[in-house]
Amino acid sequence: MVMELQDTRVTIITIRSSSSSSLTILAISSSLTTPAINRNLITPAISRNLTTPAISSSLITPAISSSLITPAISRSLIIPAISSSLIIPAISSSLIPATSSSLIPATSSSTLTLPIHNLWEHIKTQTAGGYPSSGYSNQTTTWSDGSYANYTPHQYANYTPDSSTSAYSSGTVTAPSSHYQQQQYKQWADYYSQTEVSCAPGTENMTVASKSNVGCPIPGVSSGYSTSTSQAPPSYTPSWMPESSSSEFSSVQPAAGISSASDAYWQHGAPSSQIHITSPMQPQSQKPLDPKTSYDSFLDQQKAAYSQGHNLQYPATHQVPQSYQSPANQQVPQSYQAPAQIVPSSDTRRVSKLQIPTNPRIASNLTFGLPKTDKDSSTTGAAVKPAYISVSQPKANEKVLSNDAADSMLKPGTFPKSLRGYVERALVRCKGDMQMEACQDFMKEMITKATADGTLYTRDWDTEPLFPLPSVDAVNKDSLQSSTPGSSLPKYKRSPSRRSKSRWEPLPEEKFVDKSASVVSDTMKYGGWINANDKDRKPFFGNNGNKENNMSGMKFSPLDQKNASKNAQRPVKKQRYADGFNVADNCDASSDSDKEQSLTSYYSSAITLANTPEEKKRRENRSKRFEKRQGRTEGNQFKPKNAGAGNLYSRRASALVLSKTFEDGAARAVEDIDWDSLTVKGTCQEIEKRYLRLTSAPDPASVRPEEVLEKALDMVHNSQKNYLYKCDQLKSIRQDLTVQRIRNWLTVKVYETHARLALEVGDLFEYNQCQSQLKTLYAEGIEGCHMEFSAYNLLCVILHSNNYRDLLSSMSRLSDEAKKDETVKHALAVRAAVTSENYVMFFRLYKTAPYLSTCLMDLYVEKMRYKAVSCMSRSYRPTIPVSYIAQVLGFITARPRNEGSDEKDSDGLGECVDWLKAHGACLITDNNGEVQLDTKASCATLFVPEPEDAVAHGDANLAVNDFLTRTSL
Amino acid sequence: MAAYPGMSMGEAHRRITEYLNRFSDAVSNQDAASLRFLLSLSSNSPFLLSLADALNTFQDSGRLIKHSDHYSQFSDILFNLFRSLQTYRLGNLFDSYQAFEKSANAFIQEFRNWESAWALEALYALAYEIRVLAERADRELASNGKSPEKLKAAGSFLMKVFGVLAGKGPKRVGALYVTCQLFKVYFKLGTVHLCRSVIRSIETARIFDFEEFPKRDKVTYMYYTGRLEVFNENFPAADNKLSYALTHCNPRREANIRMILKYLIPVKLSIGILPKDWLLEKYNLVEYRDVVQALRRGDLRLLRHALQEHEDRFLRSGVFLVLEKLELQVYQRLVKKIYIIQKQKDPTKAHQVKLEVIVKALKWLEMDMDVDEVECIMSILIYKNLVKGYFAHKSKVVVLSKQDPFPKLNGKPVNS
Repeated sequence: MVMELQDTRVTIITIRSSSSSSLTILAISSSLTTPAINRNLITPAISRNLTTPAISSSLITPAISSSLITPAISRSLIIPAISSSLIIPAISSSLIPATSSSLIPATSSSTLTLPIHNLWEHIKTQTAGGYPSSGYSNQTTTWSDGSYANYTPHQYANYTPDSSTSAYSSGTVTAPSSHYQQQQYKQWADYYSQTEVSCAPGTENMTVASKSNVGCPIPGVSSGYSTSTSQAPPSYTPSWMPESSSSEFSSVQPAAGISSASDAYWQHGAPSSQIHITSPMQPQSQKPLDPKTSYDSFLDQQKAAYSQGHNLQYPATHQVPQSYQSPANQQVPQSYQAPAQIVPSSDTRRVSKLQIPTNPRIASNLTFGLPKTDKDSSTTGAAVKPAYISVSQPKANEKVLSNDAADSMLKPGTFPKSLRGYVERALVRCKGDMQMEACQDFMKEMITKATADGTLYTRDWDTEPLFPLPSVDAVNKDSLQSSTPGSSLPKYKRSPSRRSKSRWEPLPEEKFVDKSASVVSDTMKYGGWINANDKDRKPFFGNNGNKENNMSGMKFSPLDQKNASKNAQRPVKKQRYADGFNVADNCDASSDSDKEQSLTSYYSSAITLANTPEEKKRRENRSKRFEKRQGRTEGNQFKPKNAGAGNLYSRRASALVLSKTFEDGAARAVEDIDWDSLTVKGTCQEIEKRYLRLTSAPDPASVRPEEVLEKALDMVHNSQKNYLYKCDQLKSIRQDLTVQRIRNWLTVKVYETHARLALEVGDLFEYNQCQSQLKTLYAEGIEGCHMEFSAYNLLCVILHSNNYRDLLSSMSRLSDEAKKDETVKHALAVRAAVTSENYVMFFRLYKTAPYLSTCLMDLYVEKMRYKAVSCMSRSYRPTIPVSYIAQVLGFITARPRNEGSDEKDSDGLGECVDWLKAHGACLITDNNGEVQLDTKASCATLFVPEPEDAVAHGDANLAVNDFLTRTSL
Repeated sequence: MAAYPGMSMGEAHRRITEYLNRFSDAVSNQDAASLRFLLSLSSNSPFLLSLADALNTFQDSGRLIKHSDHYSQFSDILFNLFRSLQTYRLGNLFDSYQAFEKSANAFIQEFRNWESAWALEALYALAYEIRVLAERADRELASNGKSPEKLKAAGSFLMKVFGVLAGKGPKRVGALYVTCQLFKVYFKLGTVHLCRSVIRSIETARIFDFEEFPKRDKVTYMYYTGRLEVFNENFPAADNKLSYALTHCNPRREANIRMILKYLIPVKLSIGILPKDWLLEKYNLVEYRDVVQALRRGDLRLLRHALQEHEDRFLRSGVFLVLEKLELQVYQRLVKKIYIIQKQKDPTKAHQVKLEVIVKALKWLEMDMDVDEVECIMSILIYKNLVKGYFAHKSKVVVLSKQDPFPKLNGKPVNS
């Protein structure tokens, strides 16, 4: 019943989106869904969206459900003729299925799905409503996996008779329908068997659910699906379309057409579905209440089923035709068509596959989501047939954690959430089974060790660095590619990826994040309601995740979902292997890395997971759905606890989100980090450390504490290595100081040291960085060589910025004390010499420059000399002795002519002659053998030559030789 | 309230109602002058002060505003304006600014809807008030150890106002006033580069015809753009703009004239035009007197002394480097004096000035410079065309051209 309800909801939603086909339809859907929703936790959302009283009515009661359904159907009938007609066939098919072989249903479902897809597409294109609807479906999906499976069977069973009567039954359709029914039943049975949940009987709600489950048996369903898709697409499509639009309604229609029988079926189905829904709801909330494992398992299953169903439904309805089909199958099946229903558990997977191709929009996101679900399902179960079923099991984490490695590793109850997040993160990274296994093994060791240490609960798993992982990108890509073919993934993927990045996420995340896992499920539902497709998608993930979390405590929170969606690509693959936990990990793992890659990986993973092509398809569909949902719903989905999963989202999300998701800690962007809480205390004892630009939060293990940094500075001081080495070392010291937020004498010393070194080699870029830091450090009152550096600053402004206003402000900021400082005085004198172009003064100051002022002036010497020579060649006649020029322009160190050794003079003279020649001066030798500058001739010939050491990129430090020496360090 | 502790509720009510009535009357009559008066918070008019007291006595002014349809349509403006007045009266300038900005925002919304430009005067008042309030709020913030940022906020608000005015309609003539307020903000903040975008739109947008703006705005605009040209060391342009400002400004506004002259005089000096002493006296610009004197006499020592004495002032106003460059003209004057003396002694050899003579002259001025340095300066003088002639290194003699050895600048800047 729940399944049906969910489906109806979904369908309803789709209807809305399509054309606002009819408010009544919506209302119906709402009413139908409402009950389920209420039970499921969805209630609030439902209540908002749906005013229908039906919701409130006891979902459990079959009669009620039936009644509810009928009205819904009737309303749905109101929906366009097309839809109704389509629905009818679908219904008929569904009815038929019970009797017919599973294969037929599959075909019908496929056909149905196709039409549905079309319809959906239309809807989508038409309105944004589709999204909301998707949201609804998502909610349903959350429950859906389990519930769907359950529902489908019920409905199918019920339908089958109807379907047989209905037109659909005709030809292929009929056969499919029968198949479907059978499948559904089988599925149900399988479901029960798989889930092993005897819950249905156990509780009232449960009983219903159990029925549905029993009927559903996954195996039958799966087979049915595959066949159905291949077989009857054309014929079905029309029927499907209508069905999809009014999926639930369609069922109603059949009932109408078929008569009461269908209704009865529906009723039965509805109750079951309702029950399922409730049960899922219960699981989350009930778990505590109901000690019975069966219940939990049921609930879990139901939830899983629901979620899957939702996912499927959503995708199908919304975006991807294929996916729609599958969704339609799942969802629609329940409500509308038997086939879809039949498939449920197995269908879900198929659906997911289908969706993947179909959901262009959803694309990556959906795929992600789907993967997760798949994974979940697989993990959970291991369930015999579809991943979905298995998913449901995961929900029952408490009972059935077993299969999934992650689950096995971390039992929900026993391990801290942060650890789960950690595991999830770790697993998400894995791209292949091999990796997954290796990771799991590794983590098991870790956890065992931690348990032994007693640090299991004390360690901050959120900030625990992940152990290195072998990358299997190539494999993933391949797998992705292979997976893609079936579906129109590429296109879709793109869109999803975008969506996933969308800014929606943050807000929803915040809201949801705070909520606990249980809350998450609610949030999921809410989100689904609100956002429709996007939300739904995410919610699905979230639901699954939530379920898992509840069960295993894995990834339930919206964040997880988001993460999952983002990560989904990888996660899915991994997840299957790694179980629910893996999913969470995947979420975490889903890093900023290309969404496409993740998608591809997701697909590939899904493929790998899926043994059967059908399963693959399903998975794809799911993934697509998820993608869609995620993309659109991101906001809602994101909140959750599992920060790891939400990492990507969170990164993109505002810092606030991050702060909220703090626990998760998994993937925080550097810029998003709360520095106060993250200021690290280094533990690294290595004195030497290469500089590497941080791309993530600093790891305390690689950060040196202050004492070590002091030694490192001394080491740099005493090092005989070249500037590039020292610069590298100093930068790493600066980085360590920064991340530890150390601002004291040592900081000043490091920056001063670096600034001086940079000046010595004329590295103005580094110098300026240091200078600006020093400015603020001095302003904070930290002692240092303040005067020296304000002089440098002045010189730098004068000589290199050539900005009148900067110069004025620098000068006016000098204190009286500073003006008395020799270094500053010198700098001011240099300024005066430069502004008046007094080269004689300049070179005198150059010779007497204190500290490293010389280095700064060095950079201006060439310019000054050229100006001076131009000036002289204009104003002197007829000649100037080069010896005079050499002396005035600083080529000769000794100031007065007779000072200094002759050698020096001649050296300087030769240098000057070379320089003059290089600049185009005309030199002549007079009668005394003295070299003279012919000023009149030189006037026209002076030029500034290209500097010999010029490099194309303008940075001599990047010269090849230096580069080689640097790399060899 | 503090000022009128005895004000009765009735009196307070009456005053508030009176203000509200005057406000709505001013709007309905399109009486910009009255509106301007009602918005001029910082005018400290008795009417507004007593209104502020009334508001502090009668706290529920919001109800009065909503009471009548006449004012309730301006409730956003009035409510925040009242808040601003109240806090202004209480000396809480930060809150006052905050409220006033909200009020001004609401006013702009209304202003947008008024098709004619009748309310320009009121808008001017608003733009002025917000700047002045922001400056005072920043002072308050700074004294409380907080970072002053309100003037910056006022700057962006004024940019918004500029956007409202910069259109084809009759309101465009108000754009220059807002531009000038923006200049004041930017100059005060030291973010002069932000002026460029506004200037560009004023000078290049076709909707603006510079001559159509009000004269006082044109003068203010020219003053600020002239100052910007001083920063750019574009002296002829600075001379043009500042001269425009000087000739068009209100001759009775001596403070304004002085502000203009403060920049115009250094600009004129740098292009070789010296002011009369009475001008400096009249506008109390005595800091330039020694500079002018040094230029007349070729007294390098006097110039350096004057620069040193007023260094802070010149640095702050931004003319220090302009004045410093006058040194070359002082050298020129000195050499010219030597040349004239030589000519009186021996006209035939007057065009040959020995370097040692110049060094000796500088020694008399207590400028201790050696031969190389003086040689360099002579070289620069020749290079910059302040002296026509050449320098003979061998004999250490400056050989002056026989025709016009010391060309006058005549309004042209020194070659650079």
